[in-house]
Amino acid sequence: MKLQEFIVRRLILLIPVIMGVSIFTFAIAQIIPADPAAALCGEKCGVVGSNGLTAYESNVIRLGLDKPVWQQYVIYVTNLLEGDWGESVTFHRPVIEKLRDAAPITLEMSFLSLAMGFPMGITLGIFSAVWQDKLFDQASRFVAIAFVSLPIFWLAMMFQYILGTQVGICDPITQALPLVPDTEGGCFPIYGRHDPTYTFPDTGTGFHLIDSWIVDEPTKFNPQTNRYEVSMSHWDMFIDTLKHLFLPCFTLAVASTGGLLRYMRASLLEVMNEDYVRTARAKGISETRVILVHAVRNALVPIVTILGFSIGGAIGGAVLTETIFAFPGMGKTAVDAIVYLDFSMIMGVTLVTAIIFLLSNLLVDISYAIVDPRVRLE
Amino acid sequence: MSDFTTDFILYSIYLFFLIFTIGVIFDKIRGKKWAESLEDREEGFTRFIQGWKQRFYDLKKSWKIFRKSILAIIGLTLIVTVSTISIFADDIAVEHPYRNLQDTEDLWWIDNEPRREAPFSEACDWHEQGIDLFGIKTKGYSRYVPAVSDPVINENGSLTPMPIEIIEIEFIEDDLGYDLNNSLIIVYNETTFFVTDEALNITSSKIWVTYEFQNNDMHHWWLPDGYDVCIMGTTNTGQDLFSKILYGSRISLKIGITVAFLTVALGTIVGSISGYYGGVIDEVIMRITDVFFAVPGLILAMAFVAALQNTTSLTIAMSTAAFLLLFFNILSTRNVISELITGEGTDRNLMFKIKNKLEPQSDLENKVFNFKNSMLETALFLLRFRGVLLVGLTLIFLGSFWPELWSNNTDVKLVKSLTLVAIFTLYVVITILDKTLNEGVPSKLISKRISESFDFGNPYRFLALRTILIFISVVLLIFVTKSSDSDFILIKDFDRLWKIQAALILTGWPGYARLIRGQVLYIREMTFVEAAKSVGAPDGRIMFRHILPSAWAPLLVAFTLDVGGTILSASGLSFIGLGAEPGTAEWGILVSDGRRFFPNSWWLVTFPGLAILLTTLGFNLLGDGLRDIVDPKNKR
Repeated sequence: MKLQEFIVRRLILLIPVIMGVSIFTFAIAQIIPADPAAALCGEKCGVVGSNGLTAYESNVIRLGLDKPVWQQYVIYVTNLLEGDWGESVTFHRPVIEKLRDAAPITLEMSFLSLAMGFPMGITLGIFSAVWQDKLFDQASRFVAIAFVSLPIFWLAMMFQYILGTQVGICDPITQALPLVPDTEGGCFPIYGRHDPTYTFPDTGTGFHLIDSWIVDEPTKFNPQTNRYEVSMSHWDMFIDTLKHLFLPCFTLAVASTGGLLRYMRASLLEVMNEDYVRTARAKGISETRVILVHAVRNALVPIVTILGFSIGGAIGGAVLTETIFAFPGMGKTAVDAIVYLDFSMIMGVTLVTAIIFLLSNLLVDISYAIVDPRVRLE
Repeated sequence: MSDFTTDFILYSIYLFFLIFTIGVIFDKIRGKKWAESLEDREEGFTRFIQGWKQRFYDLKKSWKIFRKSILAIIGLTLIVTVSTISIFADDIAVEHPYRNLQDTEDLWWIDNEPRREAPFSEACDWHEQGIDLFGIKTKGYSRYVPAVSDPVINENGSLTPMPIEIIEIEFIEDDLGYDLNNSLIIVYNETTFFVTDEALNITSSKIWVTYEFQNNDMHHWWLPDGYDVCIMGTTNTGQDLFSKILYGSRISLKIGITVAFLTVALGTIVGSISGYYGGVIDEVIMRITDVFFAVPGLILAMAFVAALQNTTSLTIAMSTAAFLLLFFNILSTRNVISELITGEGTDRNLMFKIKNKLEPQSDLENKVFNFKNSMLETALFLLRFRGVLLVGLTLIFLGSFWPELWSNNTDVKLVKSLTLVAIFTLYVVITILDKTLNEGVPSKLISKRISESFDFGNPYRFLALRTILIFISVVLLIFVTKSSDSDFILIKDFDRLWKIQAALILTGWPGYARLIRGQVLYIREMTFVEAAKSVGAPDGRIMFRHILPSAWAPLLVAFTLDVGGTILSASGLSFIGLGAEPGTAEWGILVSDGRRFFPNSWWLVTFPGLAILLTTLGFNLLGDGLRDIVDPKNKR
């Protein structure tokens, strides 16, 4: 099978799953005890519009609530495809706009956390496979299990405490933290996406790490003169963003390290028994080179598939980290939507996270198919 | 435990032993069977003992592998500790929830201790009391002010302050929080303050006295003097954090084990059906699991919690409950009765016989229509779907009674009971007719077999699981028909904790379904399954008696790991405000309550989080150790 064919087939297989998710979100919205038509118009439900109907009645007709359930579903899907994802009651704006703003935040965080977690997990995994059943292996096994058992929200707060308020050796800018008035101020800011003294222009991609290089440089607030007048360079913005991202990403990275370590260890141990590793050793190549060049490269291939699942895990974990670090990403959006029973937002968030997860898995599978052509034959 | 549960258990035991005793006495009077079956009983007993010996031996072998791993031992120790703590929380804790509605809705005393005191702080024995100078000056209140606690709820349910014993005054503050001279208030005796003239001259209308009081109830007896108070500090409402964490272990363990058990059960059933039957069923189930996997677990669980928002109790309509029970009865007795009647287990035997009578395909091509063949095929079809037919007939029978059957009128109870009897009779009659007509078993033989079937001669056989299940469902049916409500209550108080439990179960099952499906696919191809199939064992029996027992090992590991995972997710849900009510002794809630005062009051977050970490770690370490045991590579 050619690669294109493989990709097309995988894309077609995605459609039923996404449809399933849409049915699922629709079903959830049916059960949620809230009247969508009343929620949309709020206090203005009684106002008579130009068509002679009250706002409530026109909402009922627009959402198709007077029709049977399957027709409502058809209307829902048509609206989705047309880009009308409904109006969020909590955020007072269209769901799709809110999600367009929120998705990059979560994605940026997830990707960075994977970028931090992967090297950690893989390095530890290599060492515990090389020193199999030695003290290091036992210790790393314990660490792996302990990392999996950590409550993310607790870990995040411990990092806030230790890295955010105790290590007083860093930039004095981060010291003025209204949340923790009595502490010295630490290396890393403990909440927000950037320093409150300036704002990112809205013109960018939403990924602040990228935006910091492409948007116009803003001016920073000067508390002495009470004016926005200190100019910032791209580099300053980038570093500030990175600093703000560090704690949440490190938290998620630690949470994902445990699993990766175990997988990498198992995978490498399996590869070490292969014939080509024995051949390489027989040729007299140094052990380091055998491991790094012959074994690890092959052991990494199955690890690629775990990447896809890790993204799902990171988005799930983002619910907690975003709540703690005050990132207005999808996790925080989901929490707010559920607390206020904002049904259209719940449906939107569920659908978008599912699509992101499926697409990232697809990408991973495709790259796997490129690396290991045997997969395409299945 | 509700009245219903106690009644139910009593009824079941009563009915069970009644039948058993009557049977044994009857056999004794006849004097034959009991004596005849002596060998049978002895053999049953030996097998029973041998079975347990084997199990004990296996356990010993597993323990040998298990104890090699230090990590697994640590895990086991952690779990045993947490379980012990949860059992003896009453005795270890110094403060208790005052109203134990459910374990989950406990409310705690508003306490005499100051709020957010650090661990081991001596201020834990201090109490702050306001003295109303304005009242003394203008309204003529007494200048002898009794030392009392903050209002607490007494047995009548009203709020009243309790008298407490003064040791010494620590400091005095005015309304704005400025320190005043300690001599303004004099300790008159152990329970009373005296307000001096100087105090009355102060402009402030109220002053606050902070004094050390006799706090014996709050001291841990097992700790040395001076370190025996609030070893983990006090919460934002002045409660002992240590006590709350102890009580929290109950909720966490309860959630973890309930959810893990139900998730594994649901996943096992779905997974084994999917793996065993394959084909379209498998495809559909796997696509459904795909949908569940596509959404991150926590978000999915949150959506479920939102969907369950307005559910206050989990009920099903009485008619549905009765129908489900009947359905279960019929399903489980179907085989028993057909075995009683025909001897051996037998749908298949009969079907083979009929199939042999079918004319070969080649002869059929010449004829346009073969009456005998078509009749035989119809019979085959009916036989194959006999269970469905029986249930359908029962339904029709029930349906004719429908309107008056489930009304609240108490006179109808007789009708209900009669219907019940009628349904059973109908069912038995249909089966007997089926057997006599199809297989030509004489009716005398049938009655003989039925009377012999209750094998009182061998109690071990009589006490089989299936018999017990049938008894339970019969008793439940009696309850259902006796009740005059229109709804059958499964969970009376479907509170927020139940909601997150339900959400976690609904989120978790697909993982197990896939795990078990893989196992079943692998085991299905083994020879012993083929052997069971060739003797004509029904599908359900093969699935649950032959395949599943071989797949228990990964299930056990998954269960142990899932308990830990569930405790984590549940505390996460509580943390974002979807789980237990704020103020409850639940670890996630304790962390989220303490978050507002973090990091200044670091103990409010650190200790509950550590409790979650240690419990989860225990289960995960144990699961990891168990995986080593069940790993075939280690079975030497």
